[in-house]
Amino acid sequence: MKFLEDIILKLGAVDRRVIFILIGLAVLIPLLTPISLPVRETPTTVKFYDGIEDIPKNSKVLVSFDYGPSTRPEIHPMNVGVLRHMLRNGHQIYISCLWPDGIYMALDALEEITDEVNPDNVSTFDIKEYEDYILLGYRPGAEAVIKGLASDLRKVYTVDVNGNFIDDIEMMDGIKNLNDFAYIYSGSAGYPGTFEWVKYGGDPTGVPMSSGTTSVQVNEVIPYVQTGQLIGLLAGMPGAAEYEKLINVPGIAIQGMAAQSFAHIVIVIFIVFGNLAFFIKQRRDRKY
Amino acid sequence: MSFSAILGAWIAAFLTLGIFSYLYRDNPFYKIAEHVFVGISAAYVAAISFWTQIYPNLFGRLFPKDGPLAFTGLEFDFNHEFNILYLFPMLLGIMMLLSVFQQFNWMARWGIAYTVAIAAGLKAFGYLNSNVLNQVKASSVDIFSGSLPFFSLGGDSVFNNIVLLVGTLSALMYFYFSKEQTGNFGRFTRLGIYFLMVSFGASFGFAVMGRISLLVGRFNDLIEYSSADYNYATLGVLVFIIVTLGFWSFQNPERKEN
Repeated sequence: MKFLEDIILKLGAVDRRVIFILIGLAVLIPLLTPISLPVRETPTTVKFYDGIEDIPKNSKVLVSFDYGPSTRPEIHPMNVGVLRHMLRNGHQIYISCLWPDGIYMALDALEEITDEVNPDNVSTFDIKEYEDYILLGYRPGAEAVIKGLASDLRKVYTVDVNGNFIDDIEMMDGIKNLNDFAYIYSGSAGYPGTFEWVKYGGDPTGVPMSSGTTSVQVNEVIPYVQTGQLIGLLAGMPGAAEYEKLINVPGIAIQGMAAQSFAHIVIVIFIVFGNLAFFIKQRRDRKY
Repeated sequence: MSFSAILGAWIAAFLTLGIFSYLYRDNPFYKIAEHVFVGISAAYVAAISFWTQIYPNLFGRLFPKDGPLAFTGLEFDFNHEFNILYLFPMLLGIMMLLSVFQQFNWMARWGIAYTVAIAAGLKAFGYLNSNVLNQVKASSVDIFSGSLPFFSLGGDSVFNNIVLLVGTLSALMYFYFSKEQTGNFGRFTRLGIYFLMVSFGASFGFAVMGRISLLVGRFNDLIEYSSADYNYATLGVLVFIIVTLGFWSFQNPERKEN
């Protein structure tokens, strides 16, 4: 028993760099040699999927890219999936960005699903700017921008990302404010993002909305789903993987789930050993 | 593969591995990556804010085409009409910038005061409506509703409603400090701590999951950049950093902390 306790104490006092290397390997190996693990949909993801399915066909929807490269691995797969799902249902997509890098994330996502650039003819679409989508671009101001969109979109956006006048774009006809959209979606990595969209966009206007967030935000955002303020929620990379499964387009999120799971196992093992070592040390210190 | 894509891959691999090198210890590669990140972020946000907001929405309204201030030679055509009120935010903005000069330091307070007041007003309504009223409304459930099953893992049930009620009340009572937390009241507030602990545990779990997701993303990129298409950028940079770091560590041995 003492021998076992000594081993646990040694494991509990292992250099942090060893833990980093083990976690690195736990992530790297499944990425190099892909392992397929089952993905099971959670109720919030199913609600999210159903929410988009319930939008009347050929509607106008607002998609907000509220993230940057730092959180791209979590949010980008969701947003690509959302664009695919919405285009498949014939919706016209209006893209706004509350984060400056959101413009480039949106351009990347559009490139990924465009036949012209990436033709696989299964998960890509023959989409045209100003017919199927419009990239309105970034405006600084966070909640003030959302409040502006809720009252008069044309005061916030006078030109789109290409510098074309909003008033001259046919796709913008009939769009005055958020009430003219059938649905709002925000792919959010923090401030400004989901919270602000709920408070100043979804709640005041009553337009149905949903969101995809980073894992860190899930605990705070999930009450909005329970109250119905958000129709559904994609929670981090696992949420993106579940959604990819639901829309039947396996992507980078599903590929990353094995690495995610193995890393979690390593972390849990170290938490268990760390705690055991703590209690053993505490007991021994008390004895002597 | 174009030259710019290959160069971009080498820079991305260098910056990523430079940041990762901090896991070994603080070192010059990490410092370079950190400073580049901060500098570029600040410059990028400043530039994009100017060209997407100040230029079209402020200058476009103060100096529209054929506007009253056209005689100044400044004309910005964004389909706006002249609006004198926009002089006010421009002045406040200039006053905030003047904080770099010590004698005009006080001017910045006006702009900051305005911004804080606007933010407070905006947020007060948002929080009250979305976070207080809607959440309170959603917490007011019919506990023993006849239409609900007694137990359900995911959906509404009598058991879940009881957990919701007890959890909300006990966690709130924990923050009630006007009565000593002893006896039955103390036991009830202790229950509240357990609910809070479960919530913190879930937050920690989600935080770990998020960080691993980001690691997966960086590794995916590094794997992509290690291909021949990118002239083995990841491997080249990795070897360079390890060799240089080894040499640097040899010359700057780590001080043992007591």
